[in-house]
Amino acid sequence: MNDTMINEGSTATALRDNAGVAEALGRSYSAGFVTQIEMTGLPPGLDEGTIRALSAVKREPEWMTEWRLEAYRHWLTMPKPDWAKLNIDPIDYQAISYYAAPKKQPKSLDEVDPALLETYEKLGVPLHERAALAGVAVDAVFDSVSVGTTFRKQLADAGVLFCSMSEAIREYPELVQKYLGSVVPTGDNFFAALNSAVFSDGSFVFIPKGVRCPMELSTYFRINAQNTGQFERTLIVAEEGAHVSYLEGCTAPKRDENQLHAAVVELVALEGAQIKYSTVQNWYPGDENGVGGIYNFVTKRGDCRGDDSKISWTQVETGSAITWKYPSVVLRGDRSVGEFYSVALTHHFQQADTGTKMIHLGKFTKSKIVSKGISAGRSSNSYRGLVKMEKGAEGARNYTQCDSLLIGKQCGAHTFPYMEVKNPTAIVEHEATTSKISDEQMFYCRSRGIGEEDAVSMIVDGFCKQVFRELPMEFAVEAKKLLEVSLEGAVG
Amino acid sequence: MNQPASLPLAESLLAAPLPAGGPAWLDAARREHRAAFAAGGLPDTRIEAWKYTALRGLAQRRFADGDAAAAARGVDVAAFALPGVEGPRLVFVNGVFRADLSALEALPAGVSLQPLSQALRGDAEPLRFALSRPALVGHGREAGDAFAQINAARAADGVVLRVAAHAKSIAPVRLVFVGAAADAELAWHARNVIELGEGAELDLVEQHVSLGEQAQLATLVSDIELGDHARLRHVVVQDAAAGANLIRRSGLRLHARAQATLHVLELGGALVRHDLRAELVGDGAQFHTRGVFMPHGRQHIDTQLAIRHQALDTTSSSHWRGVAGDRARGVFRGAIVVAPGADGSDANLSNKNLLLSPAAEIDTKPELEIYADEVKAAHGATVGQLDERSLFYLRSRGIPLGEARALLTAAFCRAMLDDLPNAVLREHLSGLLIAQLPA
Repeated sequence: MNDTMINEGSTATALRDNAGVAEALGRSYSAGFVTQIEMTGLPPGLDEGTIRALSAVKREPEWMTEWRLEAYRHWLTMPKPDWAKLNIDPIDYQAISYYAAPKKQPKSLDEVDPALLETYEKLGVPLHERAALAGVAVDAVFDSVSVGTTFRKQLADAGVLFCSMSEAIREYPELVQKYLGSVVPTGDNFFAALNSAVFSDGSFVFIPKGVRCPMELSTYFRINAQNTGQFERTLIVAEEGAHVSYLEGCTAPKRDENQLHAAVVELVALEGAQIKYSTVQNWYPGDENGVGGIYNFVTKRGDCRGDDSKISWTQVETGSAITWKYPSVVLRGDRSVGEFYSVALTHHFQQADTGTKMIHLGKFTKSKIVSKGISAGRSSNSYRGLVKMEKGAEGARNYTQCDSLLIGKQCGAHTFPYMEVKNPTAIVEHEATTSKISDEQMFYCRSRGIGEEDAVSMIVDGFCKQVFRELPMEFAVEAKKLLEVSLEGAVG
Repeated sequence: MNQPASLPLAESLLAAPLPAGGPAWLDAARREHRAAFAAGGLPDTRIEAWKYTALRGLAQRRFADGDAAAAARGVDVAAFALPGVEGPRLVFVNGVFRADLSALEALPAGVSLQPLSQALRGDAEPLRFALSRPALVGHGREAGDAFAQINAARAADGVVLRVAAHAKSIAPVRLVFVGAAADAELAWHARNVIELGEGAELDLVEQHVSLGEQAQLATLVSDIELGDHARLRHVVVQDAAAGANLIRRSGLRLHARAQATLHVLELGGALVRHDLRAELVGDGAQFHTRGVFMPHGRQHIDTQLAIRHQALDTTSSSHWRGVAGDRARGVFRGAIVVAPGADGSDANLSNKNLLLSPAAEIDTKPELEIYADEVKAAHGATVGQLDERSLFYLRSRGIPLGEARALLTAAFCRAMLDDLPNAVLREHLSGLLIAQLPA
């Protein structure tokens, strides 16, 4: 893993040393081109040169560079979206470095921010994992390489391809070319276009026909998972009859210095395939005064391309200063199924505008949306969703349930569902409620000797149960703890 | 926004001279609103509030301003007869007051009812506040408020209705807006100001009808203010002809413990848009709406309901049903805002819809925006078909499928009229609903 990174980093340095980006473009990089010098990134700024340089650093083929440039040119023409219920400070896209080599890592846990360690303690993260999360150089902590390789062998035996996006572009160009951008086109939206132009890395998963992936895939255990960077690009393809469950993120807060995260995730499910995508997002939310924090602007979309396919999104969103995210499913195949289960928690000055889109195109397609929003402090939490029944969606069915829980007097909880129905045989149902934790519930708990904070977390846990049930078990346990930690200080 | 000058509709609305001869402040306000319209132009679908209502077709048409011959148009009183509603009425033909068709004799004590044109000839000062702004409720210069602006600039007539404190109007007051065919396709405007004093009670019936199938564009802006403890029961029956484009905006402001109940039937028209806004500004205010929209043919009916809870212990309930057939489109937005500090608010909204035809469309968008925690807020929306089991039940009892469908669809809509106290009117309105159903 380190070899690859050093290789890329040194190339970046070499590029700058070689007086000009353009000149470097035509160069080919032999495998032997490895020098052991300190890694650096590209300087801040964004233009076609940056993109060519980035592409060259990653040793991408010509078609990839062109693809990025096309996205970039489109991005330049796009207005910034302003429809979400979010206050976003202007972002200076020229101030961002679009290829950051791995940052200087702390040598041991002693150098890590004590606040971070305290949180790990509360979450019960195993000791050896804490170091990895805090960004301590991996080889010093535990042998993730060997863990990774063990998994890799097992996956390879099953025929599953699971690697970084950079690797996939080099190793499986025909697959990448076939599917990349086929769900989220380069010009889909402002942030997706930006991502297409400058994405740094991400995961690539390919499950061949009829294969049931032998284990749950997780970025956390993947080699090269570190520093996939702020512009992550993930592509998961499940061929006919394939099954896969993918876990993204981690319950523990990750040390991270990138301000803007604009990721794109594309899922493709062919006939009879099933993809389950679970996310726990806990990026730095900013402090209790709303200073700092990550902007999490993500485009996630699944395409149920084949008949009888199924895509299921489950997300627990507790981090980030601003979340702008709508994992969607295009239900193209007949009888395909889309699901969205979400818990979004905001506290202090956090803002979330999140939800889903279910686009029903095929006959007898079904979708289910369960969204639980919890707002505390001075935060703002919005559900925004679209259910669209197109003309061909004969007998299609949707059920949506959106519940909001308010904790405190200064927060906001909002619901903006859109329903567009063009087929008279389709059925769409939407229900939403907003409430606070009732005094009766609190009184009941308190009278049985349960402390105020414990009572709140119990009630919140009950409120979210429907979503937690959809998470892989160990994630569900951690998600519950995560909510407790995130809600600290929300009452009393 | 579109370039106003490039669109024939905007051009024709701007071309005619503004009504003049009013108080100086009114003439100034008209010029200002006209300028605002000229600058902003017509809303397009990129503006959220107009996302589902495209003005493309309408924007390409030209309408002649006002009807100079309105006073002489032959209008049969039978055209707007409404069983169960006898009492004072004010009738407007193409936006112009018609004394000969109106009935003002039976006005109860404490109720003052006169056309705006007349009120402006007298002491216009009490109207200054309302007429200086495009609409009392909501922000004056929201994007997409073009029609309220053009109405504020152009409307020369309308209703001024005041109910004095503690006065009770037993017989319903009826406001009738007739669109009558003229030599040219007309645009006309009406501006209504309705005020209920403290503890006043009013039954109000608002009717929109047409004579002839000619295309028209009408804008109506109504401000309704309810003083403390005032009560308003308001029925709106919109049954205009297929050529009528009606763009209405009603703003209600409810003070402490005031109560308003609205029943709205949207049946006719070509492009119909109703912005219905209520601000619950006094503690304990209550606002209840029941509505049915039934677009068929190529009709487009868009209802934008927005309720703002701004005070303690306010209550709102909204139940709306939509039935779309043929190639028609029904649009509904039901937005509830609970402002910071509006504790004890209780808001409930539901919108259920039936799609009867493969070419029809329903777009619905219930919204909740909640900034207070001591609240109960819920909404629900459905789009679907008649319940299969209910159909089966009726058929198993020997009722043919078509009849069973008609029966259930009628019941689906009629439920919205159940709590209308005027039984005769209720039966008449039910009849209108049933007549609208596909055979």
